[in-house]
Order: sequence, then C-alpha cells, then structure tokens
Amino acid sequence: MPETLLYAIEVTLNGLMAGVLYALVALGFVLIFKASGIFNYAQGVLALFAALTLVGIQNGQVPFAHLINAIFGTSIHHFGWHVPAVLAILLTALVMVGLAILVERFVLKHLVNQEPIILFMATIGLAYFLEGMGDVMWGADIKKLDVGIPQGMSGAIDDFTYNAFGYGFFIDQLDIVATVVAVILVVSLTLFSQYSKQGRALRAVADDHQAALSVGISLRFIWVLTWSIAGFVALVAGIMWGSKSGVQFSLSLIALKALPVLMLGGFTSIPGAIVGGLIIGVGEKLFEFFAGPLIGGATENWFAYVLALIFLVFRPQGLFGEKIIERV
Amino acid sequence: MVSQTPTGELCSIPALLARNVQVHGAKAAYREKEFGIWQSWTWAQTAQEIRNMALGLMVLGINRGDHVAIIGRNRPALYWSMVAAQMCGAVPVPLYQDAVAEEMAYVLDHCGARFVIVGDQEQVDKVLEVQDRLPNIEHILYHDKRGMRKYDHSHLNWLHDVAEEGRAGHQRVEAELDARIAELTWDHTCVMLYTSGTTGKPKGVVLSNRNVIETARNSSEFDRLAAGDDILAYLPMAWVGDFIFSVGQAYWTGFCVNCPESAATMMTDLREIGPTYFFAPPRVFEGQLTSVMIRMEDAGRFKKKLFDHFMAVARRVGPDILDGKPVSGMDRLRYALGDLLVYGPLKNTLGFSRIRVGYTAGEAIGPEIFDFYRSLGINLKQLYGQTEATVFITQQPDGQVRSDTVGVPSPGVEVRIADNGEVLYRSPGTFVAYYKNPESTASTKDPEGWVATGDAGFFEEGTGHLRIIDRAKDVGKMADGSLFAPKYVENKLKFYPNILEAVVFGAGRDRCTAFINIDLTAVGNWAERNNIAYSSYQELAGHPKVLDTIQRHVEEVNASVAQDRMLSGCQIHRFLVLHKELDADDGEMTRTRKVRRNIVAEKFSDLIAGLYDGAKQVSTRTEVTYEDGRKGYISATLELRDAKVVPVAKSRKEAA
Amino acid sequence: MTAAAQTMPAEGWTTADGRKIGPVLMEMKNITLRFGGVKAITDISFDIREGEIRAIIGPNGAGKSSMLNVISGFYVPQEGEVWFRGARRPPMKPYEVARQGIARTFQNIALFEGMSVLNNIMTGRLTMMNTNIAQQALWWGRAQREEDEHREKVEKIIDFLEIQHIRKTPVGRLPYGLKKRVELARALAAEPKLLLLDEPMAGMNVEEKEDMCRFILDVNDEFGTTIALIEHDMGVVMDLSDRVVVMDYGKKIGDGSPDDIRSNQAVIDAYLGVSHD
Repeated sequence: MPETLLYAIEVTLNGLMAGVLYALVALGFVLIFKASGIFNYAQGVLALFAALTLVGIQNGQVPFAHLINAIFGTSIHHFGWHVPAVLAILLTALVMVGLAILVERFVLKHLVNQEPIILFMATIGLAYFLEGMGDVMWGADIKKLDVGIPQGMSGAIDDFTYNAFGYGFFIDQLDIVATVVAVILVVSLTLFSQYSKQGRALRAVADDHQAALSVGISLRFIWVLTWSIAGFVALVAGIMWGSKSGVQFSLSLIALKALPVLMLGGFTSIPGAIVGGLIIGVGEKLFEFFAGPLIGGATENWFAYVLALIFLVFRPQGLFGEKIIERV
Repeated sequence: MVSQTPTGELCSIPALLARNVQVHGAKAAYREKEFGIWQSWTWAQTAQEIRNMALGLMVLGINRGDHVAIIGRNRPALYWSMVAAQMCGAVPVPLYQDAVAEEMAYVLDHCGARFVIVGDQEQVDKVLEVQDRLPNIEHILYHDKRGMRKYDHSHLNWLHDVAEEGRAGHQRVEAELDARIAELTWDHTCVMLYTSGTTGKPKGVVLSNRNVIETARNSSEFDRLAAGDDILAYLPMAWVGDFIFSVGQAYWTGFCVNCPESAATMMTDLREIGPTYFFAPPRVFEGQLTSVMIRMEDAGRFKKKLFDHFMAVARRVGPDILDGKPVSGMDRLRYALGDLLVYGPLKNTLGFSRIRVGYTAGEAIGPEIFDFYRSLGINLKQLYGQTEATVFITQQPDGQVRSDTVGVPSPGVEVRIADNGEVLYRSPGTFVAYYKNPESTASTKDPEGWVATGDAGFFEEGTGHLRIIDRAKDVGKMADGSLFAPKYVENKLKFYPNILEAVVFGAGRDRCTAFINIDLTAVGNWAERNNIAYSSYQELAGHPKVLDTIQRHVEEVNASVAQDRMLSGCQIHRFLVLHKELDADDGEMTRTRKVRRNIVAEKFSDLIAGLYDGAKQVSTRTEVTYEDGRKGYISATLELRDAKVVPVAKSRKEAA
Repeated sequence: MTAAAQTMPAEGWTTADGRKIGPVLMEMKNITLRFGGVKAITDISFDIREGEIRAIIGPNGAGKSSMLNVISGFYVPQEGEVWFRGARRPPMKPYEVARQGIARTFQNIALFEGMSVLNNIMTGRLTMMNTNIAQQALWWGRAQREEDEHREKVEKIIDFLEIQHIRKTPVGRLPYGLKKRVELARALAAEPKLLLLDEPMAGMNVEEKEDMCRFILDVNDEFGTTIALIEHDMGVVMDLSDRVVVMDYGKKIGDGSPDDIRSNQAVIDAYLGVSHD
C-alpha cells in the first residue's frame, strides 16, 4: 500500500478519536436542549468543573482552602489522603447531581416560561459563576488528571500494523479508551431514553411541557434529571480531555468546538451529535494533512467553523435535525 | 365435465373441518389481529370453537333448514358461526355489513332468518331497528360485547355465552348434533348468497355443498393451493368470492385465513401477513399503485431516479421473466439488481413479497396497472365469474396472462357464446336455484343447465381466451345503428388515475356523452402540489384546471376509441364532472360499486338533457343520504364541456 | 336557582338510562380566581358526582377554561377550597393533580407531536409505572413484563377508540379530529377517577362531533369514568350531560339538569345576549 494512503488512514483514525471527544461534549448540549429548549452555554465549564472536582477529591484537596486560609489565617491544603479513582469518580458524579439540583432550585425554577434568550443568558451567567467557583474551590493552577487510563502509543496496534502494512500506526491508547467509553455512554443513554419510564418522561417533556404536566410528569424532576445526566456526560468528557492535556481553564473552551458539531448534527439529535463530532474530527485532521502544508498550516483552528457555516447555508436544521412539520 | 362422484366422504364443510383436524390439527387455521397482536387458532382449536357454537345453537333450538343471517366484518368467529350453522343443518346467509337497515330488512324477510349473528353493536342496532317488521327473527347473537350492556337481552345473546351454554349442555344435544352432521350430503345447501343485482331486488342464490366443494377442489388444483398458503380475508363476507376463498378453498386445502384488525388497518395488516394467495378488485390495486406513485412524487431526486430507472427495466423484462420466456443474461442481472434495490422493498411495503397467486376480477383492470404488478414479479392474473357459477367461469393459467382477456374456461366449466354474443356456461358450480324465485331461476338457467351470464363476449382466435365487451343488455345501438358499448369506453376512461368513475350515455342517440367522477385522492394530491385550494369534492370537481385535465383524458380516449372501427361511434362529444361522488347509499351504485346506469340516468336527467342540448352550464339540486341515513340536498352549477372527436368518416378512410 | 342541585340525594341516584350516579367526588367551594386585578372566576361553588357527565357551559370568556384549569391544578385560586374524594386539596402542581387521578385534554390539543400515537398514549400510564431506574436496569425482565401489561391496557383503549390504523403514526401527521381522539386516549390511559375535557368537540365537523359524543358516552358507560367537560355548543351538552353548570362573566348563573337549564331565565338571557344591568 502506498505510504500516503496509509498515512491518511492513520490520520483518519486519529480524527475519529478526536471526533468522539467533540461528540461527547456536544451530547451534553443536545440532552439539555432537547429536554428544556435551553442552549446551555455552561456545558464546557461543567466539564471543567467536573474535572477539577475529580482531581480535587482524588488528591484529598480541601475545598475552598484559599478562602479558608485567608479568613482564618490557617494553612490547610490537603486532608492528606488519596481517594481511589473509581470512588472519586462516583463522588464527583454525586457532586454533579447536587449541582443539577442547585441549578434547578436557584436558576431554572425562577425562569419557567421565559424566552429562550433569557435562559441562554442565565447559562452564560452560570458559566462564569461556575468558573469562578471552580477556582475558589480548587485553586487556579493547572492540574494533572490521572484516573489510571493507559496513555501513549498503543504498542499492539503499532506492531500489528507494522507487520501487516510495513508501517506502524500511531494511535493513542487514551483515544481508544475514550472511544469505548463514549460508545458505552451513548448506547446506555439511548437505551435509557427509549425504554425506561424516565426516558419516556424525558422525551415527553422535550416535546410538550403542558402535555407532560397533564400526564403527571414533574418538570422540575426532569430538569434535575437532564442536568444530572449532562453533568455526568461533562464529567466523562472532562476526564478524557483532562487526562490528555491537563485540567486547566482552556478545557472549558472545548465547548466552542462543540458548536460547529451541533450545527452539523442538529441541536436536537443524539446521533447527530455523534456523527457531527466524527465528521468534524476527521474533517479537520484530513484537511490539515492534505491542505495544511499548502496554505501554511494551523487549519484546525478554523476548519470546523467554516465547514459548519457552509453546512448552515444548505441544511439549516443540521444533518439529523427535525424538520418542523406543521399542519395549517 | 369433471366426475360427478363425491370426493370420498368429504361432501360438506363440517366434514372437511373434521378431515383438517386429522391432517392439519396443529397448523394455524385462522389468525386475527386484536389489541395489536396476531392471535391464532389451529384447526383443532377451530373445530372446538365451532362445535361449541353449534351446540349452543342446538340449545337455542335451531332446526334443520333454518336460515341464519350473518352480518359483520371478516372475523374468525363469524366464519365459525357459518360452519356451526351448517353442522346444525341450517343455512348460513351472510349479508353485506354496510347495507342500510332497509336493505337488510328485505333480505332478512326474504330468507325468513330465525337467527341473526352479528359482529357488533352497530349491526345489532340495525337489526333491532327493523325487527318489528320481521316476526321470523327469534334470536340475535352478537360477537363484540362493547356497548351492549344496557340492551334488553331477552332475545339478545352474546355469542360467547351461547357457545358456553352449548359446552355446558353438550350431553343433551350432542347426539342430535352428530346425527345432523352425519346426514349432510352433496345436495344440502351449503350457503345462500344474495346478489346485489344491478336492477331490482337482490336474489338469494342457493349453492349446494357440491357447488362449493367441487369448485373449491378444481380451483385449488388449478393454482396448486395448499395448506401452507395464507390469505387475507377482507372482502365482504356476503360476496361469493370471499366465501369460496375463505371457506371453500380454505377448508379444502387447510390454508390459513387471516382477518385484519379493522377495515382501516387493512393495508398494514396486509404488509404484516404477506399473503401467498390474494384476491382484490382492480380498485384496490389501483389505489395501491396511486399511493406508490404519490409517495414517489414526494421522494428525493435520487430515489425517484432509481425508481424510474428500474421500473423501466421491470416493464421491459419483468413480465417475460414471470412467464418464463427467454430473457438475456444481462437483463436478468439488471432485473436482479432492481429486485434488490427497488422491487423487493416495494413489494414488501405493499405486502406482496410472498404472493404466489394473485387474482383480480369484477371490473376491467387498466393495462398499465396490471403490467406494473406483473413487472414486479407478482403473479397477478384475471378471472371471470359470478355468484351463480360459484365464482369461476374462466381464469388465466400461469404463463398465459394478459390484461385484455379473462382467460380460458376453468376446470370443469363449459363455456359457449350465444347467437346474440352473450356468454353462457355450465359447470359443477352452477347454482341450484334462486331462493323462492322459480321464474328468475328458469329464465337464467335453462333445462340443460346452461346459465346466461348477461355479458357479451367472444373467444379470441388462436389463444382460446375469452374477452368480455360489456353487459349484454348494455351493448346497444346508437341512432345510426352503430354499436354502443359504454362499459368499453368507461373502462378506458377509468384507467386514468384521476378518474374514479365514468358513465357514458348514447343508446339510441346520435352521439355519446359522459359523466365523470374524479378520484379525490389523486386529484386532491395534484391540487395540493399545485397550490390549488379546495374545501370539498364539489369544489375540486368544478375547478377549471381539473376540467382541463379531464378534457385531455377524454380526448385521448376518443383518439383510442376511434382506432376500433366497430366502436368509433362511441367517442365522447360532450362531458361533465359530477358534483358528487356516486354512492351506494344513494342507490347510484351497488354495494360492490357497480354503477346503476338507469338510476343515474333518471336521477340526473336534467344534466343529460344539458349535455345533448348544447348548454354551457346547468344548475341542479341533488338528494344525498348521509352515513347515518339522514337525507339532505346539495346544489351546484356544473360546467359542460365539448371534447374533440376524431371524425369517424376520416378514420374509416384511413383504415380503408 | 341551585335548588335543583341541592335537593339531590347525597348517596346518588340512578338515571333514566340506568346509569348509577354516586356521591360527590369533587367539590368546588366559593372559588375566586384573579389575574392581577381581573376576576376570571367569582365565588363559584358546585360539585361533581361519581359516574356522572358534568358539563360547564357559558359564552366565550365566561371563565369555563379557567375553572377547568383550577380543577386540574394549572391555576391556583386566590380564594375558595377544592375538595376531592372527601378531603380538602392543598394547592398543588398540575403533575400532582394528575397523579391523584385527574386526567385532562386541552382545547388546543397538547400532544407529543414527535412521538407515535402509541407512545403518546403510553405516556398516559407513566404515573402508574412502578419500577425505578435501578430496577429497570437490574431486573430487565420484570420491567419488560410491566411494560407489556401497560401496553395491553393501552391496546384496549386503542381498540375502544378505534384508532388501530394510526397506532404507529407520528401524531404530528394526523388530522385535527384524530388528534383529539388520541388526546382522549392518552387521558383514558391514566384510568382517571375524573376526566376533564376542554371543548372536546371544538373545530370538528358534524360527523367527527357525533363520533366524539359516542366515545364520551361509551367511556362513561363502559369504564364508569366521571367526566367534566366544557363546551359552548349547547345542543351537544344537553344531549350528553347529566347536570350542567352555566357560567357567565365568571359567575355561576345556573346549575341543574339539562331540562332545568333550558328553562332557566338567566341562562336564556345570557345566551341571547341580554345586557347585564
């Protein structure tokens, strides 16, 4: 096989892996948008917050340590223990559920029946609040996240491809794990939404609030549920990105990468988020590979947005977005 | 003629049932969709159900020779009640369930039914409405309990309760029942079916066990029907075809009868069952084709291209492949690809994936409709028959199928053409008599057993296939003595999807004119695509653009009619689109949707006058009957149009 | 004026067509509802008895829909008490009211347009599904069995309302009349103790109205469901209901059997548009 083709295949595979992570973040957006019609600007920050909390719990960090030390003149930083990764993830998940309850109690409940733009603004506020909160709770320094996911080049794949094609593929083990986790997450979410009572209630709320109320569905419960799920998805995304490039403020910016994914896939479609993520991931890697050298590189920064823009012109509802059927 | 000897001991439906329990006991005999699932009954279970029902009828005091009216949509329980009645020595008389109470009253009175077995509350209400005039009726049994709680049950029983009573009291009546089953012979009446009759009152056609069973045997052998086949029972139970397919052939071969959930779900149920043997009148095939075409209009460009391409392939080679004629390897490959991409999925949506034998009859079917199905690889054939023949007179053998003939005489049937062109037949299926009507019996069936069909036709030279022109009495003469065959022209018109019904006038006149009914589905869809707003059939029918389209169709038909020298006088000079759909409730059609020409001519005489005096517009007022039987009037002003005709003299010259 | 209603025996009675009307199921006591300064309902009291078809009628803007919304918990009245099954009902959210066994339909139809007819009706049974998320994940078989039982109940309703042919159709594609029927089916799926119908026949043609009337009567008859309905078509109401409350400008101007109402002068005036002085 020609070298370029093999190389292109490798790039594509890497693109797919990156796409999975985009898809994970986009998924969080879609879940909340479907259930409540809110475009949740804070989704990226949720991922950051989740990752920070996870690291904090793992390392036995004392929350609000800076604040406490400043007020009481103490100098505590750590409890002095290490929490095993699995337990830390569970605890973080609980924190995300608590956060969902708080968001519902202090924000959403008071904004029932408001315009989408108002709700959007509220999530912007929430984003900045959470960002600050994360800093205050866990400190603003860059942290390393390690929950025991293997990292680095997968030797097995390298060997195998080298023997088969005479060229070893470089594929990060983390990406493989991320893909597996994402697949499991998506399958279980789909099963949940299609076959469980709560999933059915969730779809009902997404479709019509008034009708949902009349069949005995509590909107507040559903909102807590969706924000919890979105929080959990954010946690997964946070773990993956955090393991890859450290937990730092820039993590919240991956939310911006989710935007073109959503434009491509449609704001209301779970498969759309996945396919959109994969297209963007593969697209930007391949574009960089083929066209990057010709136009000076760094195309990854803007390619996704241009692709999304072009797409918007031809199919504004996205690949899988629902066509609005209205009878007159 | 086929042998006269009884088929072993199998000379009644109950006897066939007993045989099926022996041979096919654990195989499905009936299926019905209820509450969203297909329930099924084996032959053994069926026999038990029927026996309980028969015992119940015995407990209620049913006598030999009693008539048992059966009214309702196709449901296993109602089929069973027919066989149960036969076991008791009684005669089942299925009635058209959509008949209004008045029509039912006539039949119930004429056959003197003591028992009426109905499907549901709606039918109970209809029977109760006329019951005071019908002293013969002693028991009304219903199958569906819904809404029945408040009724006076002194003469009203739930069919299930009757069967339970029968089971409980079996010791008292069992011996008598078995005796009655044993005494059934070839000559006992199997069923009595009322013909809807295009004129006059319905007549009760008496069919013997011999009629039904010999016909079922011959026709099953003709198409190699077997216990593994599946049919969908959805046509009126009162129609002879349904009785032969769903009772005669089903009990002869032991195949499975599937009943749809409701009339409205018929298409879904058809898809789910995927029958192997299927009968439908042309309008069903037409309707399905129309809906396929409509869906393709709305489909994406790629899909439509794919469809058009492979349909062209199918039209070219499909029928030949079906008939086993030689086709090049390349074309076979193309067809196989088309089957994978288009025909297969399409047949699946239509519910025709498994069809081995399909029949249509009753009306002429449009050649392009017929070819459409055959090109998909569906073995759709035509047959010609009537109630008095226990359906089969002629049918098309595999490999000799064409849209313009009705096939060769069925096994055991003799056919000849009378001097006036009328088709006559004699067969084991020839009916016994019209009930309580010896005059009609005598005028229809001569002493040698030949029956006049009332249709004019001829045998095609070379192939021996029968071609039907029209009703014998409808083939008339025009003022100048040339042949007037309205049906021939009407059928040509009705082959256009936009035209649902057409009535051509011209007997004894110097030129022909026509009434048209548009097809609301097809034209409505066209209107929607072209942004033409309409609120009713009437408004759409009067739309100038619709009239333009219809005019084009009429003129095309004229051109085609002019080709045939004998019939070129039948070109339509003027036409109008009627302001209402012809309807059985208004008496304008029979329940089987055949136009009652004379009634239409009488009812709309003002419009006919307009067509012949050259008026451009006519205002009229018409009585209509609503579904619940109330009457009302609709008024309309109709536009009358001239259609181009091909000058007869000129066409003669060309032909010469 | 309300004498007729008050002389009714407490334990109920049997109607001319043999249906049993039971004791009081729901009672509205001196309900007043205001939107800002505007009074939508002023001091209205009436009761709904078990097994009856109770109509609330009145000209447009009389406050009928507001009343229904009070019963179903969508509005909370400023004054007055709502009694249900012998106990005073504290202010509740609509979903809590629904879980108490009060199902409703909406004048403008509130269905889940993106779901199939079957799934819409299945949502009507959400409050009756007992397994929670964990159970569903761990005991898949049991959850499936429960699902099947609910499906069976729903299929009975589908059969009852004769909508088998649209079972799998997305609701968004249905014509208006069928949507109304699906909405009724969803409400019935909850096996309600009280069924509230907000203008069930609005916007229908004659034939659809007749069908709907038949279904309402059959529901009442077959399932013994208590029904309260709002309608402005007088003719329909008189044929359908056992007792009628008449509202005008937010006040109750009549309460009694259809015959009483027909001969009630205040009602005649309201419908003929005699000025209020």
